[in-house]
Amino acid sequence: MRVKIDSELCTGHGRCYALAPETFDADDRGLGLVRGDGEVPPELEKQARQAVANCPEQAISTE
Amino acid sequence: MDSEEGTGLEGMMAVMDPATAAEPQPMYKQLRESSPVLRVSGDAVILTRRAEIEDAFRRPEVFSSNSSAVDLGNIRPLIPLQIDPPDHVRYRRLLDPLFAPRQMARLEPQIAALVHRLVDRFADRGECDLVSELTIPLPSEVFLTMFGLPLAELDTFLRMKEGIIRPPGATLDDPQVWRTKTASEMYDYFDQILDERAKSPQEDLLSGFVTAEIDGQRLTRHEVQDICFLLMIAGLDTVTASLDCFFSYLARNPDQRRKLVDDPSLIPNAVEEMLRFESPVAGVPRIAVEDTEMAGTPIKKGDHVMIILGSANTDDAEFADAMSVDFGREVNRHLAFGGGLHRCLGSHLARQELRVALREFHTRIPAYHLAPGTELIYTPGIRSLDRLPLIFGD
Repeated sequence: MRVKIDSELCTGHGRCYALAPETFDADDRGLGLVRGDGEVPPELEKQARQAVANCPEQAISTE
Repeated sequence: MDSEEGTGLEGMMAVMDPATAAEPQPMYKQLRESSPVLRVSGDAVILTRRAEIEDAFRRPEVFSSNSSAVDLGNIRPLIPLQIDPPDHVRYRRLLDPLFAPRQMARLEPQIAALVHRLVDRFADRGECDLVSELTIPLPSEVFLTMFGLPLAELDTFLRMKEGIIRPPGATLDDPQVWRTKTASEMYDYFDQILDERAKSPQEDLLSGFVTAEIDGQRLTRHEVQDICFLLMIAGLDTVTASLDCFFSYLARNPDQRRKLVDDPSLIPNAVEEMLRFESPVAGVPRIAVEDTEMAGTPIKKGDHVMIILGSANTDDAEFADAMSVDFGREVNRHLAFGGGLHRCLGSHLARQELRVALREFHTRIPAYHLAPGTELIYTPGIRSLDRLPLIFGD
């Protein structure tokens, strides 16, 4: 699974990096960033999916 | 602002009746089902469904948050709330880092100390009025700490924010007169402190504003005052109302309270769930700056549009079992802090204050209930309580 944040939609609610800190990080403004290349190892998938589902702006997509 | 425009706040008050403010969720549901885009007067429209509310947040160029949306006695737009794109992002680039989660995490020990300092005053008494003794002073004391001001300034802070949010003239014809007078006092208050910070900068937020730069330019004195004004009216009462709603809920639902006492690791999720269900800030105002429509209802340029966050947060089109409060809820895309580019600047500070207050209070006072005969009176709009008398013990 890969995750991607649409920076046009992210407004910095901060839910992704609170719920899945291994997959997401914050920039200095508190906007969400994907760690590394966005590839999520299987053991972190559940947590990452929870973060995706909790984004109030639906700014995170998966493929 | 033209008086004929109304203030927006009063428009919302019309729907947010004090009688329903204690438990507004059933009214929200009724509105969503009967008239999700409701015209309540000639130029006021109320949005209650998640879908239209998300749509409005995503079209800030149509649903503007400019200074016509609400008049709080300020003489210039509040920064960044009443600034539209493209200028808005310039201010947020500067302000967001000061309120980012990592910065707010650093305040944790200070917030905890302030909570204990307040609890110390009533813990042995066996009872308290949580509103006057904790939920009102705490957010202002956190601000004073962040601003590098002495806690002795508490009464000044409280008087200024009350004068804007609940002007004593509210029962008279024109609360705006009082707001304008208080606003003038607030501009002067910060002007004087900012003079001091400009002379000798400290390690505090106000010095940060004075020395911060956007595109190589420092903020003007007016800009800094306009930021301070916003923080005062947006950052104090909202946290007070959240604490009121949360502690009132926990006092009335002892099983839920015991879950938090037994397992404090539930607190962050419980905060999100109570923010969702209670939605302490019931709604936020916008103004339509061009003609548009929503769900088939025309919205005209100049209309005041009230976005009912509490209704979006209890819409069962979005939330499974929306009317039940579940601290284990796994998917919670609540909009208690609004959405889109005006998403609450202070949301991470609010979360930090709420989590720390719940955690520390319950280590000191794990059991409490409402004093017998208590009638809880909520202010509509920003759902604070006038008093919350608690008796300690089950």
